[in-house]
Amino acid sequence: MNIKILLSGDGGQGIQLIANMICQAAFGSDFHVTSIPNYGLEQRGGVSLNFIQISDKKIVYPKFTKPDILLIMSPQAKERVVEYEKNGKLKLEIGEYEQILKENNVPRQSQNIFCLGLIAKILEEREILKKENVFELLEKKLVTKSGWEENAKSFELGTL
Amino acid sequence: MEKVNKQFLTGHEVVVQACVDAEATHMFGYPITPGTEILSGWIKKCQEDKKLHFLQTEDEIAAGFTVCGALMAGSKAFTATAGPGTVLMQDAMGMADGMRLPFVTIIAQRGGPSSGTVIYSQQEVNLAIHGGNGEGLRLVFSPSTVEELYRLTRKAFNDAWTYRFPTVVLTDGYLLKTKQDVTLDFAGENVEPKPLVSEHTQKNIRNIYTFEQELMDELENQKKDFDEMAKTVTEFESYKVESCEELIIAHGIVGAAARDAVDELQAQGKSVGLFRPITLSPFPKDELNKLVKGVNKIMIVESSMGQLRDLVKQSLEVENKIKIEGLYKPAVGIEVEEIVELFK
Repeated sequence: MNIKILLSGDGGQGIQLIANMICQAAFGSDFHVTSIPNYGLEQRGGVSLNFIQISDKKIVYPKFTKPDILLIMSPQAKERVVEYEKNGKLKLEIGEYEQILKENNVPRQSQNIFCLGLIAKILEEREILKKENVFELLEKKLVTKSGWEENAKSFELGTL
Repeated sequence: MEKVNKQFLTGHEVVVQACVDAEATHMFGYPITPGTEILSGWIKKCQEDKKLHFLQTEDEIAAGFTVCGALMAGSKAFTATAGPGTVLMQDAMGMADGMRLPFVTIIAQRGGPSSGTVIYSQQEVNLAIHGGNGEGLRLVFSPSTVEELYRLTRKAFNDAWTYRFPTVVLTDGYLLKTKQDVTLDFAGENVEPKPLVSEHTQKNIRNIYTFEQELMDELENQKKDFDEMAKTVTEFESYKVESCEELIIAHGIVGAAARDAVDELQAQGKSVGLFRPITLSPFPKDELNKLVKGVNKIMIVESSMGQLRDLVKQSLEVENKIKIEGLYKPAVGIEVEEIVELFK
């Protein structure tokens, strides 16, 4: 078993944070995990990527071109990952959830957490991790920060 | 062998851990992406352990010469740098070449020329091996995985202090930023540092000579010592090379991609193996020459315009008889699929 996940978004959208949560949870479930971030000089505004692999065998090379799951969180990111999109199996595009996000008043800064919920659900179905474990890690990281309630709700919404 | 529980660490974190476990005590450096987290990670260790020290100098030139001074005083000192910083570091590394100082540098390769990119390359091979003026001799390791990065960083200190040649751990932004589950092997002795000069007796470690002949004699001695050391320290990986017809040669993280590619190619029934030099200097010449005897094509794969290819060509005794092809992608990563594609 080897699952490859490519997360993409704008710098500042929280791609690296959700990558870290997914990896920590998978690592906690005793899988081999690699994660490699990719971003440019910009602190904000550039495209931010993270290549994740989760496997029951030792991983030799951390990068890949054919993601099993591809998350696209912005139009700019979509342009950047166009080559990966061709090869991608399951695509999660934030634009397709616009209605749900609007109806549930998910603030912009919690959209990454909503996406984390989406991915946690998929990975639970594939018996990689438990979404409760991802939530616990998230809580530990963000509970004292502002907007925790919205983040908790957004995660929940993503996992439905 | 004592193994510890699995940890989930970045390349930067394992480098810092390796320096601590090697019982290094002083880091002097100037921050530069993608090597900055080695300095900041070391600073954190200094806050936890008062025996550890750091100084962020005004630039890489100062950092390098401060390392030289600390080494002469008997401290296990080191630095880490990248890209244009590796260029500035050459002045001090050159002094370390001339004086045979156990100067350990971790180089985080990034794209060039000049500031290039902050991300990744394999373009600092020549600089790591031949960056100084004169013909200084250096030990250069190229790790391909996070676990190997730990092992070789730790070994760099031991080899530097045992053989007294400047030693480089030549890594890159991808490997350093990769976060991975690792099982680190903490076992093994550390070589004790000792002062190279003494306060009480006069000893002159020289980097300048009055007579040409004196310098040449010294360089010839250095070469003799280096060749002697090569018998012990030269390292390489041969992967699935038994009676292979075609041979991939790659180093560093590209070597990891090539390893996966070899698995896939052999699964397709193709007769392709991998030769991965772990020491780029001294280069595993003898092993390479033995291996290529039965091979009809070499495929070089690297994230530069041919710096590894040149090392291979210099090393081959049968260069004219063997076909050499290559995939040269300066300053970008090379994927497993691209390597597989080369053998279609």
